[in-house]
Amino acid sequence: MTSYRLQGRGRVDHGKPVNFTFDGKTYQGLAGDTLASALLANGVHLMGRSFKYHRPRGVVSAGSDEPNALMGTRRGPGRFEPNTRATIQEIREGLEAASQNRWPSLAFDMGAINDNLGSLFSAGFYYKTFMWPRAFWDRVYEPVIRNAAGLGVSPTEPDADSYASRFAHVDVLVVGAGPAGLAAALAAGRSGASVMLVDENAEVGGTLLSEPTVVIDGQPAWDWLAATVAELDGLANVQVMPRTTAIGYYHQNLVGLAQRLTDHLAAPPEGAPRERMWKVRAKEVVLAQGALEKPLVFDGNDRPGVMLASAAQTYLNRYGVKVGDRPAIVTAHDSAWHAAFDLAGAGAKPVVIVDMRASVDPALTDRAHALGIEALLGRTVTGTAGRLRVTSLRVNRMEGGKAGEPRDIGCDAVLMCGGWTPCLHLFSHTQGKLAWDEALQVYLPGRKTEAVQIAGAGRGLWSIAASLGDGANAGAAAARDVGLEAEAPVFGVAADRTGSGITLKELPTDRDPAKAKAFIDFQNDVTAKDIRLAVREGMRSIEHVKRYTTNGMATDQGKMSNINGLMIASDALGKAPPQVGLTTFRPPYSPTTFGTFAGYHQDATFEVTRKTPIDPWAEANGAVFEPVALWRRAWFFPKPGEDMHAAVGRECRGARASVGIFDASTLGKIEVVGPDAVTFMERMYTNPWAKLGVGRCRYGLLLGEDGFIRDDGVIGRIAEDRFHVTTTTGGAARVLNMMEDYLQTEWPDLKVWLTSTTEQWAVVALQGPNARKLLEPFVEGLDISAEAFPHMAVAECTVAGFPARLFRVSFTGELGFEVNVPARHGRALWETLWQAGQQYDICPYGTETMHVLRAEKGYIIVGQDTDGTLTPGDAGLTWAIGKAKPDFVGKRSLTRPDMVAKGRKQLVGLLTEDPKVVLQEGAQIVADPAQPKPMTMIGHVTSSYWSDALGRSIAMAVVVDGRERDGQTLHIPMPGGTITAKVVKSTAFLDPENRRLSA
Amino acid sequence: MTATTDPGVTVTELPPPTRITLRVADPTGQPLPTRIGAIEGCALCLGPDEWLLEGDAAADLVAGLPGPYSAVEVSDREITYLLEGPAVLDLLATGCPRDLASMPVGAGARTVYDTAQVVLVREANDRFRLTVWRSFAPHVRALFDIAMREIAAGL
Repeated sequence: MTSYRLQGRGRVDHGKPVNFTFDGKTYQGLAGDTLASALLANGVHLMGRSFKYHRPRGVVSAGSDEPNALMGTRRGPGRFEPNTRATIQEIREGLEAASQNRWPSLAFDMGAINDNLGSLFSAGFYYKTFMWPRAFWDRVYEPVIRNAAGLGVSPTEPDADSYASRFAHVDVLVVGAGPAGLAAALAAGRSGASVMLVDENAEVGGTLLSEPTVVIDGQPAWDWLAATVAELDGLANVQVMPRTTAIGYYHQNLVGLAQRLTDHLAAPPEGAPRERMWKVRAKEVVLAQGALEKPLVFDGNDRPGVMLASAAQTYLNRYGVKVGDRPAIVTAHDSAWHAAFDLAGAGAKPVVIVDMRASVDPALTDRAHALGIEALLGRTVTGTAGRLRVTSLRVNRMEGGKAGEPRDIGCDAVLMCGGWTPCLHLFSHTQGKLAWDEALQVYLPGRKTEAVQIAGAGRGLWSIAASLGDGANAGAAAARDVGLEAEAPVFGVAADRTGSGITLKELPTDRDPAKAKAFIDFQNDVTAKDIRLAVREGMRSIEHVKRYTTNGMATDQGKMSNINGLMIASDALGKAPPQVGLTTFRPPYSPTTFGTFAGYHQDATFEVTRKTPIDPWAEANGAVFEPVALWRRAWFFPKPGEDMHAAVGRECRGARASVGIFDASTLGKIEVVGPDAVTFMERMYTNPWAKLGVGRCRYGLLLGEDGFIRDDGVIGRIAEDRFHVTTTTGGAARVLNMMEDYLQTEWPDLKVWLTSTTEQWAVVALQGPNARKLLEPFVEGLDISAEAFPHMAVAECTVAGFPARLFRVSFTGELGFEVNVPARHGRALWETLWQAGQQYDICPYGTETMHVLRAEKGYIIVGQDTDGTLTPGDAGLTWAIGKAKPDFVGKRSLTRPDMVAKGRKQLVGLLTEDPKVVLQEGAQIVADPAQPKPMTMIGHVTSSYWSDALGRSIAMAVVVDGRERDGQTLHIPMPGGTITAKVVKSTAFLDPENRRLSA
Repeated sequence: MTATTDPGVTVTELPPPTRITLRVADPTGQPLPTRIGAIEGCALCLGPDEWLLEGDAAADLVAGLPGPYSAVEVSDREITYLLEGPAVLDLLATGCPRDLASMPVGAGARTVYDTAQVVLVREANDRFRLTVWRSFAPHVRALFDIAMREIAAGL
């Protein structure tokens, strides 16, 4: 093991080495390490290149706020993730990690030329530079910028992992398992409340993991932590979930949690999902997210080896890793002094503590002297040196508010602390208001919108004692709010290291500030001078400054940069920080995989695929399927060697010559029942229903309030008070909702009820001249002769031994029947008719043939020939309007001036001049093909097929004043040339007298 | 690879009983529960004027009603699964947003599982009946299978 690992120190398992690779080289860490801590233990600080300037970067934090140490991680094929935070990813045997944003190597990167050209890449660079010429944007600028931008590479293989999701309901959800969160969970858990305690780290404990010297209730911090976790684990009503990030806080205390399940395991159990999304509804939420340390803003504050002081403390105490032998500490807060003391205690030799403040607690300076650490107060830091690792720090005296003479101090790490920012991201998701605290120079939670408590450092409490007490109070209050008796436990804390500090803008320098690379946002490469430039160029609101500079717009959402950016902007504007404002945090709190959001919705369960009872037969008989809404429907049934055109032609001939069999089960069905059923039907549909006799059917047309066609279908009257309504396949749910809406809001007085029966019935359609001959022997209790059971009749009877509703209807223009039987019998009925139909060369057909057959008759398909802007008049369906009816949905709209004006598009037939040419559906139609472009388009083709029965192509189209154009020649310009076609005002191409269907 | 364990829950498709969707304007004086989610006899109250009747007694109950009402047979519209075992709440929590732990035994509810509307009846602490529209059943069943593997994996 290297000299950076301290034997016996930290919470890592010194007896369990773990091998992993970084940029192809094998390293050894210990069980319990993160990628970052393991690399630091090996003396590796250089972990990435920055986004814009390609500057060499080292790890800067030890948590989820890490902006620099973002890596690609891999576990075999299909298991690659870009931008994994090395500070969060635990090492496992065989983990492959690789640095990003560098070429050809991390140590030597060509893109770093951007760094020298930094003065070109100022804030707003893209907006200013790529304005002109406009035509260059699409072809040159955008592709080049896109190629250069972005961090990491997207995975190229399908994700081989699976993901899970889970709902949960708890009394109290505690977010953050540091001192405040643990105390809250204890208080609430002991009261009997159901508690979920979540923490994004691999281990609960928060600050306590980095502060082992604190004594709680007489126990060393880690002993107290172990006892507390044991107590919580022992409570059946408490669930403790590490590796679980609360990513979003939504209305009514719904919190989204992303739980990492297998990324830390060398060999995940079979069937285990990689991550799980929890959707937790909590009666009370306790936010104990703690505080985030801010960097100090000075030239060269991003050099590898420069990191947050608290991070160094965490690497030391939690992971047993020294981040350097000779660290220099630069700070504006007491907390970094303790980091220096801890490092000194572990054998490092801190070379200097530089505090920006002119005076600090003498106890700190005394301790520094005792440990032999030079302490410099009232100084500024103006630079660092070192190529791929910091080698020295440039420190200046402050003289009359200005930086004086510099002094270079050699070091191998710089630990900085610019104070602490309460982490209020989740609180911000709830639209809770933040209030600026002048004394602490931080934003604290203000007005709340949810049943939430904020505890600990999240509301500006800077000690473990205060956080424990505050958490205990919050947990007890939450438990009481859900109606339980609860007491806040009291903790005795010794050796607590409280502290205070100041909040600064960028540090003063004796050099040209315009040349300083003093970073605020490390992930987006935003410097202090970028913020000042934005203000000079007129940005006044922090929202504008943010977008102009991209400060805080990286995936870390400004966890480190927000307040530093605000302090500099407010200084430049000469306004107090609260007057400049704060940007809004949005979910997710930290980057979350798409897989976690998708959950189970991948592969076969990506979306529901609805299948009919007859679907298995279609599959067994070689059907090709097409999706129709959520259904999959048999599209056509090709025989060996047949293409779609040949199969559809044969199916059409089969149905017209003898008999075809079709699965119509997906049609929407609604049972309308009650004494007011006929009144309801009169009001909903355009057609008259009062005189429709029991046992008869009618084509029904449904409009919206706007008078446009919404749906259609054949409707049968089963009894005086009972209608069997059919809808389009895709419209079933929509029509039922629309009907319910009218019933509940407009006509609650009507005694009528709606029940969806779509799936109660399987529907087998027999269409063709031999349909009756085939069906008749199977029908019991009904005479289906042409006289007794004419077109548009319906009756209940028995078919092939199954109870049935038999409709004599036709969507093909042929003699046709639709047999409805309870769904469980659908396949048996189909197979019975199929067997018996062999004597008639029965032909199964799919939706494509159904479309052709109906188009030959000019029957419309709502949603294909209509698009939500066609009235019954436009579609040539005024015959379906009950003109004597006092009202129906959409009636009033039909008389509005625009709806009866000339110039509306009307549905007509189109016959191409060349009968062999089949028009393309959606093709645009013009009157004069010689006119200059852009041409005036007067309509488009809605349906177009080859008609085997007619021996030519047929089409339907909507055309301006189409019916007046009967006989006119129109033009359809296509890439290969213009096609001419003649308008026919009737779309009934075949058997317009309806002789066949009346047979 | 760690060996997987018993998921602690089984899913069984039940034969379809007679099912009737009953809508009644005024249930006063009728043998129908009026609290949503309550079950009395063969009737589960799904809404202020809606009941799901299940079993052989359903037709008799309808026959005894004075009307006006709507009774529509939906026996074939749905598939019912019996979900049973100590992990049944975990299984349902993979797709049902309701707080089912607080649902009393002997009560029912119309809710959703994933994107499918379902009716749940809690028959015992660790036993539910789930009824779902026929064409959505394979999707729900497939999700149950995935969830059972996940529960067995123990993470």
